[in-house]
Amino acid sequence: MKRLALFANQGATSSRLVGVLLLTLLTLAITFVLPPVADSQLASGAAISIVVLGLSWLIGWSGQISLGNSGFMAVGAYATGIWAHHHASSPIIFTFVLAMAVGAFSGLIIAIPSTRLRGPYLAGMTLAFSAAIAPLAQNYTSITGGEGGLFFNTLTTPHWFLNLFSGQNATIDANAQWTADLAVVVAGVTFFFMANLFHSHTGRAMRLVRDNDVAAELVGVNLPRTRTLAFVVAAAFAGLGGSLYALINATVTPSTFPLTLSITLLTLMVLGGIGTLSGAVIGGIIYAFSSNLVGHINSLTGINPTSNLGANMQGIIFGILLILTMLFTPRGIAGLGPRFGRLVANRRRVAPLATGE
Amino acid sequence: MSGGPSSEATAELVDVTVRFGGLLALDRISFDVQANEIVGLIGPNGAGKTTAFNVICGFQKPDSGTVRFPALGRTALKPSQLCAAGVARTLQGVGLFVNMSVLENVMAGAQGHVGRGFASSLFGLPAGRRHELALRDHAMVQLERLGIAQFASSLPGSIPYGISKKVSLARALMGNPSLLMLDEPASGLDESELDELAQLIVELRESMSVLLVEHNMDFVMPLVHRLVVLNFGEVIATGAPSTIRTNPDVLAAYLGVDP
Repeated sequence: MKRLALFANQGATSSRLVGVLLLTLLTLAITFVLPPVADSQLASGAAISIVVLGLSWLIGWSGQISLGNSGFMAVGAYATGIWAHHHASSPIIFTFVLAMAVGAFSGLIIAIPSTRLRGPYLAGMTLAFSAAIAPLAQNYTSITGGEGGLFFNTLTTPHWFLNLFSGQNATIDANAQWTADLAVVVAGVTFFFMANLFHSHTGRAMRLVRDNDVAAELVGVNLPRTRTLAFVVAAAFAGLGGSLYALINATVTPSTFPLTLSITLLTLMVLGGIGTLSGAVIGGIIYAFSSNLVGHINSLTGINPTSNLGANMQGIIFGILLILTMLFTPRGIAGLGPRFGRLVANRRRVAPLATGE
Repeated sequence: MSGGPSSEATAELVDVTVRFGGLLALDRISFDVQANEIVGLIGPNGAGKTTAFNVICGFQKPDSGTVRFPALGRTALKPSQLCAAGVARTLQGVGLFVNMSVLENVMAGAQGHVGRGFASSLFGLPAGRRHELALRDHAMVQLERLGIAQFASSLPGSIPYGISKKVSLARALMGNPSLLMLDEPASGLDESELDELAQLIVELRESMSVLLVEHNMDFVMPLVHRLVVLNFGEVIATGAPSTIRTNPDVLAAYLGVDP
């Protein structure tokens, strides 16, 4: 019995595929009913959830902290922009693969010195990387377009999709939804791959290193290689997320991926739940619709959205949410489910006693 | 036994010296572990027992001298190469992976053996999954062998100390080692657990060599074939327990009497 439960826990590749597929289809269905603005928000949320998932893997599974993931996003986004400039008509999948490869490569460059560092020193190193990206982009004007950035319009909605829509705002509706659907599908594919990694030999190597590096080495884990691999995967995910983010907004500038975005990513990861797929989904949703919440609170309290306080409302809300999460559910919102389940299970177990059985 | 041909030795240290700054931690020590032999490494605190272990495991590079594994056909190994080469070591205390179940801890013991690549992990290929399931079965067998299968899904923090030590032993055995290195396996165990452990080590010796560091003399004396006694980084005696017991140098080291 117990053995059976453990096997079920492991989960076959096919069951992971079905799970991710169902969630993707559900989200795709939702995009049909959402207004165009919400679809655009959802698209950004899907892009961010990919980055959050990569960060969750890095921190939650391999135990390494990174404040540089906005930098990896920027690398993926600039690769996308530069590629779009020269090969505007190439299939979008090439763009994604390129962004992942360039992101992974930048991750490798950062990881090689970083694997010698721990804790705050590692955080500092990655922070320096993400801080360096904007000045680099500002300086190499011929490649990056300098302060003004790059503009590209690579995401063209296919005709068959446009034909699904009719009416006055057909093109706007269709474009917004096509963007959202594309982002959701890309996110679905990456979530499937990460689910596989979580339950694999590689995933276990990460957790061994995180829990006890001396013992991990003794069972045959190559520490530098494993730590580097964790970084490369996280950076590839961030590169892809950055690429998608840039495609959605059709632009990338030095200020698209500020240092504060790295902190926001960290916050979203903690709010959702470290090291879980559902946590990254929740983080993406929070990101997508946080501006609605901010607008709502500003109008409720009568704070001028353009004032100093109003403009920083998102940071304030995230900060409060973060404190509440740390206090009441350290495993994030995704951790509430299992906790609730245990609560119900305990009550059931106690119930027969109360009824005198 | 001590003078046996070195080509048969599972592990062998020759004139190993380790210095920590001005401190001479190991001073040209030599000893070996023959196939299917149980060797005890003993000595007062600070004698260099753990340093000797670390040298064998590649955690500590000797300043001079060599480490060899003639029976395994290997010379100095890095820690991450030990598992695949057939050397397993338990850590002082327990050294388990605290956020992973007992079963996963034991599965981890064969981490260095498997050659499933990153692509297999990423795409969730069937071969990788079959391999994981086989590993899981093998780990369950190890747990059952040690009589702790009922703790398979527990976390290390929630099980008694004696069970934790068995888990770390099960993890070491996962790799089917030719040389099993135990760092203070008896510490913290009660009488019945000690008897059980001694019996297990005698059984294991049929298929591997065992090298252990231990303070508990009542446990070590009847168990080992040979003792290597360290004091202040030097091997002061080597031999069967019966001869070591009456060796004046050893008595002096332990009791502080001048020889």
